[in-house]
Amino acid sequence: MTTGSGGRAAPGEKKSPGLNPEESALVLRIGVFVKMRWLAIAGVLIAGLLATQVFGIQFSLVPIYIICFVMALYNLFFFYQARHLNAEASGSLPEVLTVPLRRLLIVPKATSPLIEKVRATGNIHITVDLAALTVILHFTGGIENPFIFYFVFHVILAGILLHYRVAYLVATWAILLVVLLVGLEYYAIIPHVHLEGFAAAGLYQQVSYILSMLVALSTCLYASAYMVTSISGELRKRQREVVALQQKGLTEKTRELEEASKELTKLEEGRQHLLRFLAMASHDLKAPLSAVQSYIQLMLGGFSGELTDKQRQMLGRSSTRITEQLELISDLLDISRIEGGQMVKEVEEVSLVQVVQDSVENVRALAADKNIKLNTQMSTSLPKLKASGIRLKQAITNLLANAVKFTPEKGDVLLRVTEQNRDIYLEVMDMGTGISTEDMPKIFDDFYRGGDRQKPGTGLGLSIVRRVVEAHGGKIWAESPNPEDKKGRGSKFTFTLPENLIMAGKKPNQRERVRNRKK
Amino acid sequence: MAYKVLLVDDDPDIRDVVTMLLESKGYETVTACDGIEFLAALRAEEPDLMIIDLLMPKMDGFAVLKELEDGRWSKYRHIPILILSSVREEASRRRYELETALEFNVDDYVEKPINPEVLLERVERLVNKQKKA
Repeated sequence: MTTGSGGRAAPGEKKSPGLNPEESALVLRIGVFVKMRWLAIAGVLIAGLLATQVFGIQFSLVPIYIICFVMALYNLFFFYQARHLNAEASGSLPEVLTVPLRRLLIVPKATSPLIEKVRATGNIHITVDLAALTVILHFTGGIENPFIFYFVFHVILAGILLHYRVAYLVATWAILLVVLLVGLEYYAIIPHVHLEGFAAAGLYQQVSYILSMLVALSTCLYASAYMVTSISGELRKRQREVVALQQKGLTEKTRELEEASKELTKLEEGRQHLLRFLAMASHDLKAPLSAVQSYIQLMLGGFSGELTDKQRQMLGRSSTRITEQLELISDLLDISRIEGGQMVKEVEEVSLVQVVQDSVENVRALAADKNIKLNTQMSTSLPKLKASGIRLKQAITNLLANAVKFTPEKGDVLLRVTEQNRDIYLEVMDMGTGISTEDMPKIFDDFYRGGDRQKPGTGLGLSIVRRVVEAHGGKIWAESPNPEDKKGRGSKFTFTLPENLIMAGKKPNQRERVRNRKK
Repeated sequence: MAYKVLLVDDDPDIRDVVTMLLESKGYETVTACDGIEFLAALRAEEPDLMIIDLLMPKMDGFAVLKELEDGRWSKYRHIPILILSSVREEASRRRYELETALEFNVDDYVEKPINPEVLLERVERLVNKQKKA
């Protein structure tokens, strides 16, 4: 902070590290005092000129000019000093003066070295100013000059800037200086300058006048000291309370943050635990079914001897049930993994074209069984995405498998991928029975299987698709009948992938993975 | 001479199924229940094909694959590897590449439950390729 350079600080001004509000306010005020002193010097000069030229009061202006010059000199010094108040941490000269002073007045040690230093500086300012005003008074009529009451400003300054006890000390100092001045003049030890044309001559010899002036001045100064210090003391107390409150708030906030971060760590640990658990559960749930299914397949394959038709039929049904059960386990675990945040780990650079082609490949056999034509419309310049390739493939495969499942033999299924307004749209259209209006709102729910229970399925396929799409920040919806079908048949599923998944800079096809070790 | 297949799987029923299946087609099978046993058997038996399960106690299939990348096993590098696992191929590939920073370098991948025709066909293809090489 450029201390006291102008007595103002823009609210956004950068503060030096460790400068609390009390310190910066003090530093600021020192600057204000320097400014005020310039005004005072100007005031003295103007008052002198007005008195002599306009009001015809006769006294010599030469000593006034000299004093003003001296004041200007030391104010320049103070000005310079104020700018560098907190540049060096340790005060040199003021320390010598303030320590005994502090002990004498039982002023508590300031809460920071900077405050100590500012107070010391303030002490010097006020001491010098007291002296300056006394000398000016001496050359402008002494007790005759009503500006004698201007000592009140010094008291106010001391009360604001320094410790409140110092305000009383300054008041006492001022009274002592005035008594000394008036006394010396009264006993003619120093000459008296008479303000001719303003006050009666011999006023400085009039004891009753002198005493009344002294009493008025003393009461005025002490009363001011009392008022100023009680107000500024209250203000300082408030300021400290505000700082303390702020710090308390800060400590609380820090504690809250620490707690929140602990919670997060716990959550993450919980998530990791869940994922490990799921991996284990997945294996242990599937392994026995796999073994049973393998045996059944072995028997059905005739590897354990001839089967009767009845046996073959029963084993076939068992096998179907086991396949369904395995699918259900896979689906449940997939949902848990997606909900558990596993997808974050799976995000990588994905070629959308590749994902779509792989998904189509996954359902090709299924479609071929029903003589269904799988049509794909997409541009080969589709961008690369930051996404989970595994899950996207799963989602598209699920949609295509669904479409094939509900489309009658020799029908058509169409998959279209387009870029619209920078978002990616994937649309799957079938020629199936369509979705009834009752089913429509629930088709993406867990375990919802619609009215047609004859079709095999876990009821989790579409809910997985929805989760995958939503985890990528996309949207999914269905329309039935398919608005693009001329005969008003089937349904259309659309999902979007938002623009922010698109990777900047389209690159050519993803590197082919070498699958065979030897060529 | 019959082809020798070395199979490692912790599930005794899977070992049983695979053994029955392969022996019905005249293959000779040797089995192990975990990775450590498997590596020992690999030295002793010098098979024509390795069938490896991935999720096993003690040393799992991923660790076996990583171990085989080591120079000590270069002598066995020509033997084809078929993975037989209930984990989806893509998930395994990702996991292996993430954990080891190595390429998931296997000759074939068959997902459980076992479809006899599929497994036999893949095994046959691999040993035939092996014979030609």
